[in-house]
Amino acid sequence: MNTNLKISNVTKIYPGCVANDNVSLEFNSGKIYALLGENGAGKSTLVKILSGVVIPDEGKIYLNKNILKLNSPSDAKKNDIGMVFQHFNLFETLSVFENLIIDSDEQRENLKEKIDTIMKKYNFSVDLDVPVLNLSAGQKQKVEIIRCLIRSPKVLIMDEPTSVLTEQETSELFLSLKKFSEEGILIIYITHKLKEVMQLCDEVAVMRRGKLVSVSQINNENIESLANKMVGQDLKTIKKKKENTSSEQLIKITNLNFTSEDPFETNLVDINFSLNRGECLGIAGISGNGQSELFQVLSGEIISNKNSIEFNKNFIGNLNPQERREYLMAFSPEDRLEQAAIPQMAIFENVALNNFKSSNFFNNGLINESKIKEHSKKIISEFNVNTDNIDLKSQFLSGGNLQKLIIGRELITSPDLLICFNPTWGLDVGAINYIHETLIKINEQNKSIILISTDTDELLKLSDKISVIHRGKLSKIMNAEDVTSEKLGILMGGGN
Amino acid sequence: MIVDVNFVGLIIASIMASAVPLILASCGELITERSGVLNLGVEGMMIIGAISGFALMTVTGSLIIAVFGAMLAGVLISTIFAFLTQTLITNHVATGLALTIFGIGISAMIGKNFVGIPGKEFPVLFEGLKDTIPLLSPILFGHSIVFYFAFALPFITGYFLKKTKIGLIVRAVGDSPESASNQGINVRFVRYACILYGGAMCGLAGAYLSMIYTPQWIENMTGGRGWIALALVVFSTWNPIKILIGAMIFGGLTIIQFHMQAIGVRIPVQFLTALPYIVTIIVLVVISRDSRKIRLSTPSSLGKSFHKDN
Repeated sequence: MNTNLKISNVTKIYPGCVANDNVSLEFNSGKIYALLGENGAGKSTLVKILSGVVIPDEGKIYLNKNILKLNSPSDAKKNDIGMVFQHFNLFETLSVFENLIIDSDEQRENLKEKIDTIMKKYNFSVDLDVPVLNLSAGQKQKVEIIRCLIRSPKVLIMDEPTSVLTEQETSELFLSLKKFSEEGILIIYITHKLKEVMQLCDEVAVMRRGKLVSVSQINNENIESLANKMVGQDLKTIKKKKENTSSEQLIKITNLNFTSEDPFETNLVDINFSLNRGECLGIAGISGNGQSELFQVLSGEIISNKNSIEFNKNFIGNLNPQERREYLMAFSPEDRLEQAAIPQMAIFENVALNNFKSSNFFNNGLINESKIKEHSKKIISEFNVNTDNIDLKSQFLSGGNLQKLIIGRELITSPDLLICFNPTWGLDVGAINYIHETLIKINEQNKSIILISTDTDELLKLSDKISVIHRGKLSKIMNAEDVTSEKLGILMGGGN
Repeated sequence: MIVDVNFVGLIIASIMASAVPLILASCGELITERSGVLNLGVEGMMIIGAISGFALMTVTGSLIIAVFGAMLAGVLISTIFAFLTQTLITNHVATGLALTIFGIGISAMIGKNFVGIPGKEFPVLFEGLKDTIPLLSPILFGHSIVFYFAFALPFITGYFLKKTKIGLIVRAVGDSPESASNQGINVRFVRYACILYGGAMCGLAGAYLSMIYTPQWIENMTGGRGWIALALVVFSTWNPIKILIGAMIFGGLTIIQFHMQAIGVRIPVQFLTALPYIVTIIVLVVISRDSRKIRLSTPSSLGKSFHKDN
């Protein structure tokens, strides 16, 4: 049976922001639709409206010509709309089966049979009795998909599903989605990754600042045309210049080990690498394979053996982050609002947290506010942070502006080495471009970068050398020119 | 030296009796906390239960009305907590502390007229079997219905959480209220229900103290048992069977240190009085060391307000 889903003149206004401005769209089963847009373009709001999580201020939704009242997530479920959220809606401490049975009305045995059938049909394999927190991101997503399939949905909405997947897992997912589509499920695929749209989808709708800007067949588009529609301006493509980097060694890691007492952290095993001035070392891997532990060990949040880290001919393994900064290391952690900045504090106060002996931010224990503010203004203008109010609490900066502020704070002292962890995670194309340009620039100034990232494209674009971390072990260091994303994918999955 | 086995049985029975209010309050609070709500008002709810039970018994003369009235009083005072934390989204910790202070104050006020009034005898079950089996008879027979209920409760609670659909929903809400809400579960309703249930159990625990354990009203008669109950929940890592073990150890040491003081053992009284608190916590920490299990049974959203935005 054919399914027709129609969104008609939907508007949703949040205080200070029009998330959806009179959006109308129509979908038919048998096709895979892409909903494309930058962060904050309004696509997440739109799918939250379709899944009943958010109620629109105006507009109607029709399923097969019948008007739909979606006041809660259970309304969406009743009307056969299934949704896989970007941030999984799973209960981490419950077992997979408990997660599945919780919103099902079926008897235990019937449900088990049904799940088995689904898993066989689509070639999924997930252990039903383990707690969800033991699963990989790819498996968690399969649990979410199974949860939708149990209800034999007419519509399946996938919100940025590949942000946590490896290349292999992504292609598996695409195969499954194509299979669902052939079976008559209407698929709406939300993403900001252009490559995926071209690979997977039949039709694409582009959103920008809450408005629908275009709807078109995929055959009439290419990556550049979609990128320009999405950003609303022509993007320059940046490329790293390959230069002869110096052979002067800057940092050397020798037999670095970290054993955690927390069973949900990853142990680091015999980490060895070295990096020259002006080079960028990319560290790839699926999240949860020891990246955050590696970052913490390198930044000094976790202190290790003194001799395991040699930086600029000093042994600094036993120093804390503050002390390492004095040796001209700089750090940009993964979580901008939890680790890099304090959300309730003003921009200038966050700047002051990065305190150097030489910066004179404090006199005899008192805060030298004018000095800090002057310094903050310099960062804001040099690093294009889009605000002129340095008293603003940092939680009100957009992700892109906050990341620029953090990177700016770190770089303004011209450190010899910047260690960053997923610096562009969740940012829109414009901000990503800016951060990438900045990183390339500091390499050109003969400074070094250690870039820990889960984004393979980013790593291939920026790195001179690449290594892969898998279960706390680093692969051998490869030259970036000899590496392809397929090869990285295999290493990330633990292959050779 | 001849030890009378029945005397040993009596000591064990008295230990169990002193554990009853702890088990009731802890098992109630366990359900509340498993739904992600941290209610620090246990002491306050218990003392409200204690005065309500005693006052109703004195005024109406009916034990049934008194017991259920005490539970209802616990429900009512926990409704204040539920309204504040779930509807007005106030901070759990501050609200819970306020509830305890409020409970102690108001119970003292109501209780003024009931000081010095003797309690009533509470009927016991299986009285006739008291002399049938040596050692075991005093342990098994001749106790109030609340006593038997308390010792069944940890097992019922465990079964409820692990095996029933509603128990699963409670755990899910405590794990991730956002996910639960997106799954169509009414988080606020579930949390209200769990808070009210916790209130009822604390009310019953209080009533046990003032009507059965020491049948009289004394101001502040819960004497910190509510705080011990809270500690039991946390240190048992939200496991009802371990609550039972912890309550027995605590009750046991309390009774034994009384006897030791009576015999005149040369250990400072302050140390003896502190002993049950220290040993109970050490034992529970030791038997709950498995950090994997702690992670799996700790309600991840404990004490965090959940506000659904549209």
